[in-house]
Amino acid sequence: MRNSFVDTIVAQCHHRDDLMILSGDAGLGVFDTLQKEHPDRFLNCGIAEQHMASFGAGLAMTGVKVVLYNIIPFLLYRCYEQVRNDICDQNLPVVLAGIGSGVTFAPAGISHYAVEDIALARTLPNLTVISPADPVEARAAARYALAADTPVYVRMARSGEREMGPDHDIDITAPRVIRKGTDVAIVFHGSIGDEVMAARDLLAEVGISPRVISVPMLQPLPYRQLCEALQDVQAVLSVEEHFSDSGLGATVQSLRALESPSWSLRILGIPRDGALSLVGDRNTLREAFSISARHIRDEVAALFQGGSHGM
Amino acid sequence: MSHFMDSPEMEGISRAIRRDIIEMAHCSQSPHVGSALSCVDILAVLYFRKLRLDPWQDRDIFILSKAHGAMALYATLAARGIIPRKVLAGYFQNNGTLPGHLNRDEAKGIEASTGSLGHGFNMGLGMAFGLKRKKSDRQVFVLIGDGEAQEGSIWEGAMSAPRLGLDNFTAIMDCNNLQGYGRPRDICDFEPMAAKWQAFGWQVFELDGHDHEAIISAMAVSATGKPRMIIARTIKGKGVSFMEDELIWHYYIVTSAHRERALQELA
Repeated sequence: MRNSFVDTIVAQCHHRDDLMILSGDAGLGVFDTLQKEHPDRFLNCGIAEQHMASFGAGLAMTGVKVVLYNIIPFLLYRCYEQVRNDICDQNLPVVLAGIGSGVTFAPAGISHYAVEDIALARTLPNLTVISPADPVEARAAARYALAADTPVYVRMARSGEREMGPDHDIDITAPRVIRKGTDVAIVFHGSIGDEVMAARDLLAEVGISPRVISVPMLQPLPYRQLCEALQDVQAVLSVEEHFSDSGLGATVQSLRALESPSWSLRILGIPRDGALSLVGDRNTLREAFSISARHIRDEVAALFQGGSHGM
Repeated sequence: MSHFMDSPEMEGISRAIRRDIIEMAHCSQSPHVGSALSCVDILAVLYFRKLRLDPWQDRDIFILSKAHGAMALYATLAARGIIPRKVLAGYFQNNGTLPGHLNRDEAKGIEASTGSLGHGFNMGLGMAFGLKRKKSDRQVFVLIGDGEAQEGSIWEGAMSAPRLGLDNFTAIMDCNNLQGYGRPRDICDFEPMAAKWQAFGWQVFELDGHDHEAIISAMAVSATGKPRMIIARTIKGKGVSFMEDELIWHYYIVTSAHRERALQELA
């Protein structure tokens, strides 16, 4: 999805003079086309994250549409206060393009994981938070971010996510129903969508077809539209590659407390039990976190069974 | 320098700004009066002798990165007629007009929101880069503190700026030689400051930060392709004898008695 996002941005550079991409010395090769065709649109700010965030804010204050590109911890955590004060509080049209969502870079270790970024980003004033699940959503997120006159954070994995639906102009601000299904709905954001779709295929083999809904826009969360998409289900399973206590699931849980919808909610995410320190690739860690396709399948199957017993 | 005000009497302007600072600090019962007083002469030179302010849309940019000195900027903006002088009375007040640190939405002439140290410097660099990219001749000036220069972000910018050829950018360091706990050299020994910035590829000036003519001369030097750093040696609390070079005036509240004595000295 990273390349789909970047390609969309670069394509805009051909007919937009006011667009610049700043990198914190990340993404070698990703911007080759841009550097070749529009060398004045790319600036490597070096390994100086606080400087880059403030510099990007200042550049935006002169009328430039700025895209800051980095690995998420170095885009959002190292320089959280610069992002908060300089970009978000000043409400500047800066795009924060972060890669390495969740444990994408496993087994690189905790320094390179982004398992609490949604929680952090949702605290920031004026910031829109988007977590695309596939190249289709990544392109739509790029289009949205480029058009916005306020700050936007786009949380991406890296590459290899399969397209979950036709590549038409989707509304990135709304929940995206990928499979219609009944009774039980799976809601998710980001690259864990690959596991969700694999689980959905496993469930189809035993005749279970849950509704599958991607929720790319996490701030502001389109809660009303989400409730409409969920109004006829009995149970909702929220799945994300993020701490389970502070991401999409937790947000939906806190919102549903306001109006007690009829569906029950079960949340899958990364637990705070130390599993993050395991040395393994992303698939191994997803297994350890119980957010792999197998776990999602089992959870959905259990929810279906619960439903048949009059839940 | 024909577009600047005709021969204003800089000493008098600085004194007037200092009087307003004393009044603001007294009315608001707020701290940081020493930090504001140390940078008054620099701000007076900028706003009365250096910055192009007309037409406003083509103005030069000034960012107060050491926003602890916010009173100095508010008083200077009022003295220059950029904000109405009456709003000074609402500084740091309940239901007031001007916040303790700077918010760019609160008043004309506040170019960037600052307060946390080490931010305004890099925002200024970004603005200088953006203006240069647009081939604009607008200049960017940023005032930082010597305590603020302990922030790593300052040195990230210090290393990055020369490569970008930002000779439309001038930083001024208000070296008032007192920070929250005492002498900077006892807390983080960063001298020799001038040699450090020179080594990083900046054009460096070192001068008495209360000498208007020296500041004016340094700022008049033509661009050389390098960003500029003016190391201004100043006295915290400058202009009020009992506040000068006293750490406690980073914190003390200006009482009625303090105010009376200070205004007498600044008359």
